[in-house]
Amino acid sequence: MFADLKRILPETCVLIALGCLFGLTINHQLVLDAFSGRLTAQPSAIAEESGLAALPMPAMLDEVRQLVASGGIVVDARSPDLYTLGHISGAVSLPMAEIEVSLPDFVQQVAKERTIVTYCSGFGCPDSFDLGVLLLEAGYRDVRVFEGGFPEWRDAGLPVGGGEQ
Amino acid sequence: MKRLEVWLYHLCRLILAAVFIYAGSVKMNDVVAFAGHVAAYQLLPYSSNYLVAVTLPYVEFLVGMLLLLNSRVRPALLTIGGMTLVFMLALVLVLLRDLNIDCGCFDPGGGQGVSAWGALLRDVGLMVLVVLCWWLRTRTSDGESAER
Repeated sequence: MFADLKRILPETCVLIALGCLFGLTINHQLVLDAFSGRLTAQPSAIAEESGLAALPMPAMLDEVRQLVASGGIVVDARSPDLYTLGHISGAVSLPMAEIEVSLPDFVQQVAKERTIVTYCSGFGCPDSFDLGVLLLEAGYRDVRVFEGGFPEWRDAGLPVGGGEQ
Repeated sequence: MKRLEVWLYHLCRLILAAVFIYAGSVKMNDVVAFAGHVAAYQLLPYSSNYLVAVTLPYVEFLVGMLLLLNSRVRPALLTIGGMTLVFMLALVLVLLRDLNIDCGCFDPGGGQGVSAWGALLRDVGLMVLVVLCWWLRTRTSDGESAER
Protein backbone atom coordinates (compact mmCIF):
# COMPACT_ATOMS: atom_id res chain seq x y z
CA MET A 1 0.00 0.00 0.00
CA PHE A 2 2.90 2.33 0.71
CA ALA A 3 5.41 0.80 -1.68
CA ASP A 4 5.49 3.85 -3.93
CA LEU A 5 5.99 6.31 -1.11
CA LYS A 6 9.46 7.24 -2.34
CA ARG A 7 7.90 8.50 -5.54
CA ILE A 8 4.75 9.90 -3.98
CA LEU A 9 6.41 12.00 -1.28
CA PRO A 10 8.48 14.22 -3.60
CA GLU A 11 5.46 14.67 -5.85
CA THR A 12 3.43 15.71 -2.82
CA CYS A 13 6.01 18.31 -1.86
CA VAL A 14 6.09 19.67 -5.41
CA LEU A 15 2.29 19.84 -5.44
CA ILE A 16 2.12 21.78 -2.17
CA ALA A 17 4.94 24.08 -3.28
CA LEU A 18 3.19 24.78 -6.58
CA GLY A 19 -0.07 25.64 -4.84
CA CYS A 20 1.68 27.96 -2.38
CA LEU A 21 3.71 29.60 -5.13
CA PHE A 22 0.60 30.17 -7.20
CA GLY A 23 -1.27 31.75 -4.29
CA LEU A 24 1.68 33.90 -3.27
CA THR A 25 2.16 35.13 -6.83
CA ILE A 26 -1.47 36.12 -7.27
CA ASN A 27 -1.68 37.79 -3.85
CA HIS A 28 1.88 39.10 -3.54
CA GLN A 29 0.74 42.69 -3.05
CA LEU A 30 -1.56 41.74 -0.18
CA VAL A 31 1.19 39.77 1.54
CA LEU A 32 3.74 42.58 1.12
CA ASP A 33 1.26 45.09 2.51
CA ALA A 34 0.37 42.86 5.45
CA PHE A 35 3.97 42.28 6.46
CA SER A 36 5.06 45.87 6.04
CA GLY A 37 2.03 47.12 7.97
CA ARG A 38 0.89 49.17 5.00
CA LEU A 39 -2.51 47.56 4.83
CA THR A 40 -5.28 50.06 5.33
CA ALA A 41 -8.89 49.38 6.09
CA GLN A 42 -11.04 49.44 3.00
CA PRO A 43 -13.22 52.51 2.58
CA SER A 44 -16.82 51.40 2.20
CA ALA A 45 -19.77 53.17 0.64
CA ILE A 46 -20.03 55.67 3.52
CA ALA A 47 -16.45 56.83 3.01
CA GLU A 48 -16.86 57.17 -0.74
CA GLU A 49 -20.03 59.24 -0.39
CA SER A 50 -18.53 61.58 2.18
CA GLY A 51 -16.58 63.70 -0.30
CA LEU A 52 -14.16 64.73 2.43
CA ALA A 53 -10.97 66.38 1.28
CA ALA A 54 -8.96 64.42 3.85
CA LEU A 55 -9.57 60.81 4.77
CA PRO A 56 -8.44 59.24 8.04
CA MET A 57 -4.77 58.28 8.02
CA PRO A 58 -3.68 54.67 8.56
CA ALA A 59 -1.68 53.93 11.69
CA MET A 60 0.54 50.92 12.34
CA LEU A 61 0.81 49.03 15.60
CA ASP A 62 3.88 50.93 16.83
CA GLU A 63 2.32 54.29 15.99
CA VAL A 64 -0.84 53.34 17.84
CA ARG A 65 1.20 52.47 20.94
CA GLN A 66 2.94 55.84 20.78
CA LEU A 67 -0.32 57.69 20.22
CA VAL A 68 -1.89 55.97 23.21
CA ALA A 69 1.16 56.81 25.34
CA SER A 70 0.96 60.46 24.31
CA GLY A 71 -2.70 60.85 25.22
CA GLY A 72 -4.53 59.74 22.10
CA ILE A 73 -7.98 58.22 22.45
CA VAL A 74 -8.61 54.73 21.11
CA VAL A 75 -12.11 54.08 19.83
CA ASP A 76 -13.61 50.63 19.27
CA ALA A 77 -16.02 50.51 16.30
CA ARG A 78 -17.15 46.91 16.89
CA SER A 79 -20.35 45.71 18.48
CA PRO A 80 -20.82 46.10 22.25
CA ASP A 81 -20.71 42.28 22.59
CA LEU A 82 -17.27 42.05 21.05
CA TYR A 83 -16.14 45.03 23.12
CA THR A 84 -17.22 43.25 26.29
CA LEU A 85 -15.39 40.07 25.28
CA GLY A 86 -12.12 41.97 24.91
CA HIS A 87 -10.83 45.31 23.68
CA ILE A 88 -7.68 47.41 23.52
CA SER A 89 -7.01 48.51 27.07
CA GLY A 90 -8.51 51.94 27.68
CA ALA A 91 -10.53 51.99 24.45
CA VAL A 92 -13.89 53.74 24.27
CA SER A 93 -16.77 51.77 22.73
CA LEU A 94 -18.40 53.56 19.79
CA PRO A 95 -20.20 50.83 17.81
CA MET A 96 -20.85 51.72 14.17
CA ALA A 97 -24.22 49.97 14.39
CA GLU A 98 -25.59 52.55 16.82
CA ILE A 99 -23.40 55.49 15.91
CA GLU A 100 -26.26 58.03 15.69
CA VAL A 101 -26.96 57.49 19.36
CA SER A 102 -23.44 57.44 20.74
CA LEU A 103 -21.59 59.96 18.59
CA PRO A 104 -23.22 63.16 20.05
CA ASP A 105 -22.20 62.12 23.58
CA PHE A 106 -18.69 61.39 22.42
CA VAL A 107 -18.40 64.75 20.65
CA GLN A 108 -19.51 66.54 23.81
CA GLN A 109 -16.97 64.79 25.98
CA VAL A 110 -13.91 64.67 23.76
CA ALA A 111 -12.17 67.84 22.59
CA LYS A 112 -11.67 68.25 18.84
CA GLU A 113 -7.91 68.65 19.28
CA ARG A 114 -7.42 65.13 20.63
CA THR A 115 -5.85 62.47 18.45
CA ILE A 116 -8.24 59.61 17.85
CA VAL A 117 -7.41 56.08 16.74
CA THR A 118 -10.25 53.89 15.48
CA TYR A 119 -10.13 50.13 15.12
CA CYS A 120 -12.38 47.12 14.51
CA SER A 121 -11.72 43.42 13.87
CA GLY A 122 -8.83 43.83 11.40
CA PHE A 123 -8.66 41.85 8.14
CA GLY A 124 -10.44 44.34 5.96
CA CYS A 125 -13.34 45.18 8.29
CA PRO A 126 -14.65 48.58 7.12
CA ASP A 127 -16.11 49.92 10.38
CA SER A 128 -12.93 51.56 11.68
CA PHE A 129 -12.51 53.46 8.43
CA ASP A 130 -16.17 54.50 8.30
CA LEU A 131 -16.04 55.65 11.91
CA GLY A 132 -12.89 57.61 11.11
CA VAL A 133 -14.73 59.40 8.30
CA LEU A 134 -17.64 60.25 10.61
CA LEU A 135 -15.25 61.62 13.25
CA LEU A 136 -13.54 63.80 10.64
CA GLU A 137 -16.95 65.05 9.58
CA ALA A 138 -17.75 65.77 13.20
CA GLY A 139 -14.79 68.13 13.30
CA TYR A 140 -11.92 66.05 14.68
CA ARG A 141 -8.67 66.91 12.92
CA ASP A 142 -6.35 64.03 13.71
CA VAL A 143 -8.08 60.72 13.11
CA ARG A 144 -6.16 57.50 12.42
CA VAL A 145 -7.33 54.04 11.51
CA PHE A 146 -5.57 51.03 13.03
CA GLU A 147 -6.14 48.38 10.37
CA GLY A 148 -4.78 45.48 12.37
CA GLY A 149 -7.48 46.16 14.92
CA PHE A 150 -8.10 44.03 17.96
CA PRO A 151 -6.52 40.80 16.57
CA GLU A 152 -3.14 42.42 15.88
CA TRP A 153 -3.11 44.21 19.23
CA ARG A 154 -4.02 41.05 21.14
CA ASP A 155 -1.58 38.86 19.19
CA ALA A 156 1.22 41.31 19.97
CA GLY A 157 0.59 40.63 23.66
CA LEU A 158 -0.41 44.23 24.41
CA PRO A 159 -2.74 45.15 27.28
CA VAL A 160 -6.32 44.06 26.74
CA GLY A 161 -9.40 45.04 28.70
CA GLY A 162 -12.71 43.25 29.12
CA GLY A 163 -13.72 39.70 29.89
CA GLU A 164 -12.11 36.41 29.09
CA GLN A 165 -12.39 35.10 25.59
CA MET B 1 -15.99 -7.35 -6.91
CA LYS B 2 -13.23 -5.63 -8.86
CA ARG B 3 -15.79 -3.54 -10.69
CA LEU B 4 -17.43 -2.43 -7.47
CA GLU B 5 -14.06 -1.33 -6.16
CA VAL B 6 -13.33 0.73 -9.24
CA TRP B 7 -16.75 2.35 -8.98
CA LEU B 8 -16.28 3.08 -5.29
CA TYR B 9 -12.83 4.50 -5.97
CA HIS B 10 -14.17 6.98 -8.50
CA LEU B 11 -16.98 7.94 -6.16
CA CYS B 12 -14.56 8.72 -3.30
CA ARG B 13 -12.26 10.57 -5.64
CA LEU B 14 -15.02 12.73 -7.08
CA ILE B 15 -16.53 13.55 -3.68
CA LEU B 16 -13.13 14.70 -2.39
CA ALA B 17 -12.50 16.61 -5.62
CA ALA B 18 -15.82 18.44 -5.32
CA VAL B 19 -15.28 19.30 -1.63
CA PHE B 20 -11.80 20.68 -2.15
CA ILE B 21 -12.44 22.53 -5.41
CA TYR B 22 -15.41 24.21 -3.72
CA ALA B 23 -13.53 24.93 -0.49
CA GLY B 24 -10.57 26.35 -2.39
CA SER B 25 -12.48 28.50 -4.85
CA VAL B 26 -14.81 30.21 -2.34
CA LYS B 27 -11.83 31.10 -0.16
CA MET B 28 -9.78 32.35 -3.13
CA ASN B 29 -12.63 34.77 -3.78
CA ASP B 30 -12.22 36.52 -0.43
CA VAL B 31 -8.70 35.97 0.84
CA VAL B 32 -8.85 38.85 3.33
CA ALA B 33 -12.02 37.55 4.99
CA PHE B 34 -10.51 34.08 5.15
CA ALA B 35 -7.43 35.57 6.85
CA GLY B 36 -9.83 36.87 9.49
CA HIS B 37 -11.21 33.36 9.99
CA VAL B 38 -7.70 31.97 10.35
CA ALA B 39 -6.92 34.71 12.88
CA ALA B 40 -9.98 33.73 14.91
CA TYR B 41 -8.21 30.47 15.78
CA GLN B 42 -5.62 32.62 17.57
CA LEU B 43 -2.79 30.28 16.63
CA LEU B 44 -0.63 32.59 14.52
CA PRO B 45 0.70 36.14 14.82
CA TYR B 46 -1.37 38.74 12.95
CA SER B 47 0.44 38.99 9.61
CA SER B 48 1.07 35.24 9.33
CA ASN B 49 -2.66 34.67 9.06
CA TYR B 50 -2.44 36.34 5.66
CA LEU B 51 0.26 33.85 4.59
CA VAL B 52 -2.03 30.92 5.36
CA ALA B 53 -4.94 32.67 3.68
CA VAL B 54 -3.09 33.28 0.41
CA THR B 55 -1.66 29.77 0.11
CA LEU B 56 -4.12 27.25 1.59
CA PRO B 57 -7.05 27.88 -0.81
CA TYR B 58 -4.79 27.45 -3.83
CA VAL B 59 -3.37 24.16 -2.55
CA GLU B 60 -6.92 22.96 -1.86
CA PHE B 61 -8.02 23.93 -5.35
CA LEU B 62 -5.00 22.28 -6.96
CA VAL B 63 -5.46 18.93 -5.19
CA GLY B 64 -9.16 19.06 -5.99
CA MET B 65 -8.39 19.51 -9.68
CA LEU B 66 -5.86 16.66 -9.68
CA LEU B 67 -8.43 14.35 -8.10
CA LEU B 68 -11.02 15.44 -10.64
CA LEU B 69 -8.59 14.76 -13.47
CA ASN B 70 -7.62 11.42 -11.87
CA SER B 71 -3.99 12.43 -12.08
CA ARG B 72 -1.33 12.27 -9.31
CA VAL B 73 -4.09 10.94 -7.11
CA ARG B 74 -1.96 9.63 -4.25
CA PRO B 75 0.17 12.77 -3.86
CA ALA B 76 -3.10 14.72 -3.84
CA LEU B 77 -4.59 12.36 -1.24
CA LEU B 78 -1.48 12.63 0.92
CA THR B 79 -1.76 16.42 0.79
CA ILE B 80 -5.45 16.33 1.68
CA GLY B 81 -4.76 13.91 4.51
CA GLY B 82 -2.04 16.15 5.90
CA MET B 83 -4.16 19.28 5.63
CA THR B 84 -7.17 17.60 7.21
CA LEU B 85 -4.99 16.42 10.11
CA VAL B 86 -3.85 20.01 10.68
CA PHE B 87 -7.46 21.25 10.49
CA MET B 88 -8.51 18.65 13.06
CA LEU B 89 -5.69 19.63 15.38
CA ALA B 90 -6.69 23.29 15.09
CA LEU B 91 -10.33 22.41 15.82
CA VAL B 92 -9.35 20.35 18.86
CA LEU B 93 -7.41 23.37 20.15
CA VAL B 94 -10.50 25.52 19.55
CA LEU B 95 -12.61 23.10 21.59
CA LEU B 96 -10.01 22.91 24.37
CA ARG B 97 -9.84 26.69 24.64
CA ASP B 98 -13.61 27.01 24.35
CA LEU B 99 -13.49 29.58 21.52
CA ASN B 100 -16.80 30.26 19.82
CA ILE B 101 -15.73 30.81 16.21
CA ASP B 102 -16.79 29.90 12.71
CA CYS B 103 -14.50 27.17 11.39
CA GLY B 104 -13.88 29.08 8.14
CA CYS B 105 -13.85 25.75 6.33
CA PHE B 106 -15.83 27.00 3.35
CA ASP B 107 -17.38 30.33 2.33
CA PRO B 108 -15.66 33.08 4.36
CA GLY B 109 -18.59 35.42 3.70
CA GLY B 110 -21.31 33.09 5.01
CA GLY B 111 -21.85 33.82 8.71
CA GLN B 112 -21.79 31.26 11.48
CA GLY B 113 -21.61 27.81 9.92
CA VAL B 114 -21.23 24.54 11.77
CA SER B 115 -19.81 24.21 15.28
CA ALA B 116 -16.25 23.07 15.92
CA TRP B 117 -17.63 19.62 16.80
CA GLY B 118 -19.50 19.49 13.49
CA ALA B 119 -16.42 20.56 11.56
CA LEU B 120 -14.32 17.98 13.39
CA LEU B 121 -16.82 15.26 12.54
CA ARG B 122 -16.78 16.36 8.91
CA ASP B 123 -12.98 16.16 8.90
CA VAL B 124 -13.15 12.62 10.28
CA GLY B 125 -15.45 11.79 7.34
CA LEU B 126 -12.95 13.31 4.91
CA MET B 127 -10.14 11.28 6.46
CA VAL B 128 -12.15 8.07 6.00
CA LEU B 129 -12.68 8.96 2.34
CA VAL B 130 -8.98 9.74 1.89
CA VAL B 131 -7.85 6.42 3.39
CA LEU B 132 -10.49 4.47 1.46
CA CYS B 133 -9.56 6.23 -1.78
CA TRP B 134 -5.84 5.57 -1.22
CA TRP B 135 -6.46 1.92 -0.49
CA LEU B 136 -8.72 1.42 -3.50
CA ARG B 137 -6.30 3.29 -5.73
CA THR B 138 -3.48 1.00 -4.66
CA ARG B 139 -5.61 -2.09 -5.21
CA THR B 140 -7.07 -1.11 -8.54
CA SER B 141 -3.74 0.08 -9.90
CA ASP B 142 -2.01 -3.18 -9.02
CA GLY B 143 -1.08 -4.84 -12.23
CA GLU B 144 -1.40 -1.69 -14.27
CA SER B 145 1.96 -0.83 -15.72
CA ALA B 146 2.13 2.91 -15.28
CA GLU B 147 0.02 4.61 -12.67
CA ARG B 148 -0.67 8.21 -13.40
